[in-house]
Amino acid sequence: MTVEHASKTSASPESAGGVSREALVVGGGVAGMQAALDIANQGYKVYLLERSPSIGGRMAMLDKTFPTLDCSACILTPKLSEVARHPNIELLTCSEVKSVKGEAGNFTVEVLKRARYVDVDNCSACGECTDVCPVEVPNEFDWGIGFRKAIYAPFPQATPNAFTVDKRGEPACRANCPAGVNVQGFITLMRNGKFDRALEIVREAIPFAGVLGRVCVSYCEEECERGMVDEALRIRDLHRFLADYERMNGRTKPEVKTDKKEKVAVVGAGPAGLSCAYHLARMGYPVTVFDAKPEPGGLLRYSIPEYRLPRDVLDDEVQYIKALGVKFKMKTNVKSIKELFDKGFKAVFIATGASVSRRLKLPGEDAKGVYHAIDFLERVSKHEPVEIGEKVAVVGGGDAAIDSARVALRLGAKEVTIIYRRSFVELPAIKSEVDDAMAEGIRFMLLTNPVEVLTSADGRMTGVRCVKMRLGEPDSSGRRRPVPIPGSEFTIALDNLIVAAGQVADPEGLHREVKCHERWGTVEVDPITMATDTPGVFAGGDVVLGPATAVKAVGHGRAAAVSIDRYLRGEDISEGRVSTRRRVQSYEVDKSGVEIEHRVPMPRAPPAVRSDNFGEVELGFNEESAVVEAERCLGCAVCCECKLCVEACTRNAIDHDMEDEVVELNVGAIVIATGYKLFDVDEYPRLGYGRYNNVIHAMEYERLINASGPTAGNLIRLSDGKIPQDIAFIQCVGARDVPKGVPYCSRVCCMYGIKNAVMAKEHHPDTKVTVYYADIRAFGKGFEEFYEMARTRFGVHFVRGRVGEVVEDKTTGNLRLRVEDTETGEVVEVEHDLVILSPGIQPPQGLEEIAAELNMQLSEDGYVQVLDEITAPVDTLTPGVFVCGCADSPKDIPDSVSAGSAAAMRATIILSQGEEGA
Amino acid sequence: MSSDPHNPTSSFAQEVAREPGGEDINKCVQCGICSASCLVATYERRYRPRQLIQKILLGEREEVLRSELPWLCMTCRLCEERCQEGVSISEIFHAVRQIAAREGFIPNTFKRTINTLMEDGWLLKDAYSDMIEDDRDDLGLDTDLGWNNEFVKRVKERYLEGGTSS
Repeated sequence: MTVEHASKTSASPESAGGVSREALVVGGGVAGMQAALDIANQGYKVYLLERSPSIGGRMAMLDKTFPTLDCSACILTPKLSEVARHPNIELLTCSEVKSVKGEAGNFTVEVLKRARYVDVDNCSACGECTDVCPVEVPNEFDWGIGFRKAIYAPFPQATPNAFTVDKRGEPACRANCPAGVNVQGFITLMRNGKFDRALEIVREAIPFAGVLGRVCVSYCEEECERGMVDEALRIRDLHRFLADYERMNGRTKPEVKTDKKEKVAVVGAGPAGLSCAYHLARMGYPVTVFDAKPEPGGLLRYSIPEYRLPRDVLDDEVQYIKALGVKFKMKTNVKSIKELFDKGFKAVFIATGASVSRRLKLPGEDAKGVYHAIDFLERVSKHEPVEIGEKVAVVGGGDAAIDSARVALRLGAKEVTIIYRRSFVELPAIKSEVDDAMAEGIRFMLLTNPVEVLTSADGRMTGVRCVKMRLGEPDSSGRRRPVPIPGSEFTIALDNLIVAAGQVADPEGLHREVKCHERWGTVEVDPITMATDTPGVFAGGDVVLGPATAVKAVGHGRAAAVSIDRYLRGEDISEGRVSTRRRVQSYEVDKSGVEIEHRVPMPRAPPAVRSDNFGEVELGFNEESAVVEAERCLGCAVCCECKLCVEACTRNAIDHDMEDEVVELNVGAIVIATGYKLFDVDEYPRLGYGRYNNVIHAMEYERLINASGPTAGNLIRLSDGKIPQDIAFIQCVGARDVPKGVPYCSRVCCMYGIKNAVMAKEHHPDTKVTVYYADIRAFGKGFEEFYEMARTRFGVHFVRGRVGEVVEDKTTGNLRLRVEDTETGEVVEVEHDLVILSPGIQPPQGLEEIAAELNMQLSEDGYVQVLDEITAPVDTLTPGVFVCGCADSPKDIPDSVSAGSAAAMRATIILSQGEEGA
Repeated sequence: MSSDPHNPTSSFAQEVAREPGGEDINKCVQCGICSASCLVATYERRYRPRQLIQKILLGEREEVLRSELPWLCMTCRLCEERCQEGVSISEIFHAVRQIAAREGFIPNTFKRTINTLMEDGWLLKDAYSDMIEDDRDDLGLDTDLGWNNEFVKRVKERYLEGGTSS
């Protein structure tokens, strides 16, 4: 509570620096608009704040008004443009009150202006962006019965007349990807069959759609929201498909634009180095990649077996990087960093990896027949002869261990066993790889550790002595530490042992020239910018992380490229690099109505076919299954940032990087016009809303009969498009209901119900229309006459009796209502083909927060408490704060407008105390 | 917006309102949602909870108390679940039955049922078949349940006839 009651405060407005001649109206519905206009027309400046992208409120959604049956839009639209064009009114749309301080005459209000991502002044509302936007979601303005795009204007007369991007933040998949791939973006375009554009989005982050599409551990899938419903999307396989699709259908040559002079050296042609070179080349830098090996790719080429990553896929993507102008100096050992600077390179990226196998330091580890995984895999990858016997064991549980085991099998081993010292739960390898290995007959010996390699007299290994382990307390890595069980030693006879117990960086490498971790020997870098302690020298990938994943290395390469670009241009490399984007929270993603649909299985070569050769195991999606899988995406952030709209906009009005801002206002008076919330009819399960398609509520009906609505004003059943022949209106739903906490009469439902019934007759004069009510409260001017007219002239049938329950006929979709006609005492079951509930109204959402900020009292029902119902109906208990519209009690449109004018007058009495020109 | 009870419309309504459970009678607005929800009303044309409440509100004391309709409520409380005014219809009918019973208006069916219970100690004497008797025999239980036995007599003495037995 930051607002002081006048009685409690010692400072008078004068001493606080005079009275402000500006006002704030909170809420852009018809009441707030009227208040703003009346204040503005007296010469005071008004800020009109609205939470949604457009002012107009609920009245803009209505079809007709009662009792005159005037077109709602026809009355409101001139007012909308009057507000928009008024020199004294400043619209603050997509805004919320953040905090209020001060007192009558002098309030300081902080307003949170949410990013609209469209420049209101620049946008001409031509709609080109909406046409190309691939994201379609239910339109809130149509109460979900119609659809809109992610970039949209809620209705044709939206004011301000500008579009808005509905962007909820960063989806989990993208936030979780170490390389920052815009997952939702490429998947959304895939759903629309735009495979080439989708691949472009992947390539904005990584050069390896195909390579990472095969070998990535898929951090993105770990937190995919779809996984909360059934199973995560196969994100990895989807971008693999994009690469496969391009390879099958041909690629357009990438544009080379080496327009910068500063040469950059990348040491190491693994995933980190290639990624860095790729991004720098796209920025226009001349890049040279050095590597000691004959071919680029690093561990991708010399460690990952061909059945997982066919080399032509890797070659193809390396070729793409070459086509961007990156030069490769292979079989070149760079001796020192200085050497590179001497040769004229202006910046260096070290990505020499960690490709030296760790040794277990077991007795007999050097015996003939013992291999170390990286050497073993490299020799196999180079197609060098490697001797493999019948019985092989692999020590370790990472991807290199699984790879080694499956390679050994393919080289002819009959019995391959993986020895891992923890349990299956801790096994760090990719799950699908483990499954594939098991399917191929590889055995897993868990909670076991080798202690000694047994050798024969001629120095050849004969077997391994192992010890059984149990899991103790968690260690520093968070995993439970394996502890040997004394006396549990046993021996296995083996022909070969492959040690896959981790890798380290080359202890002699050139990275030792910059600051390294004392114990691990890895390069110490700034985790965001990848800068080392030496200016101009950056490092990333396994040489920084120790053995990690390819996608993290690629992410490092990308981050380093951004830093190098900034470094070479003399900019601050760290400013604004830490992402402040809010992540879309799980609860914010609407999962209602999402049907269980499992992920599309990845076609695999059967074990019998694949386990003796190096042909690819995962065969990839075809076009159809890729689209089916992409369709499962929930589109968490709504806008997927494909940026097709940016291209379509001819006025440069769209800026996806806009940020929320906080504006501070100094106002003398505040008018609360926050409107109402429609009662949630889901609370009446007996009436079938949400379960039966042909039970809708009054606001949906308003949009249904509205010419600018989703059916262009055709009154039909949404379930089957039929013209309803027999419509029922049920009154008092969420009004005058004591157990539901709404004991009061909502005051408008009787009349809007009658109006809706009349409109049904106007649309289809032959349709039977029945209104079920408890009382008809036709209390205003012309209301009783309107009710009479509905009965006599339009033939609307009125039945006095509240409806007990609604039951659907499964075959026709018609609805049976049980009701007692209390005028005859007859309990009847009546069939209708469309039922419209007339919900009551409630205090708006968020009113409690504003009330707390303003130190404003709310009544027992949750509405704003007014000073006096009779003599001060628009004054709140906080001086300087006034209320109008439905914020203090249910009102119809004329009453809301009257209250708006009244509140405006009360507000200007305060503003007029301020000095002109002050 | 308060929910002040409506003014009682009859002395009988006031009488019911004083009876425990009958307090809410005056909140009724006669909307008919109880009749529209009532399962008994589906099978019995004469039984309409709203109309019965209406008769109470109108003061038809004799007719209501002599009627067997208040006794037909099976206390499923579906009407209470749906009543938008918060009226406990089955509680009201319970209150009405209390008044009726005090004045001796108990439908014969109900009287016969109670009498059977009082005499036999078991409401479902007819359900005691040969099969159950055989079962009891097999299970080593006494087959003679002793209708009209000492237990019922003692209960009557203690609770219904002045509590002379200890």
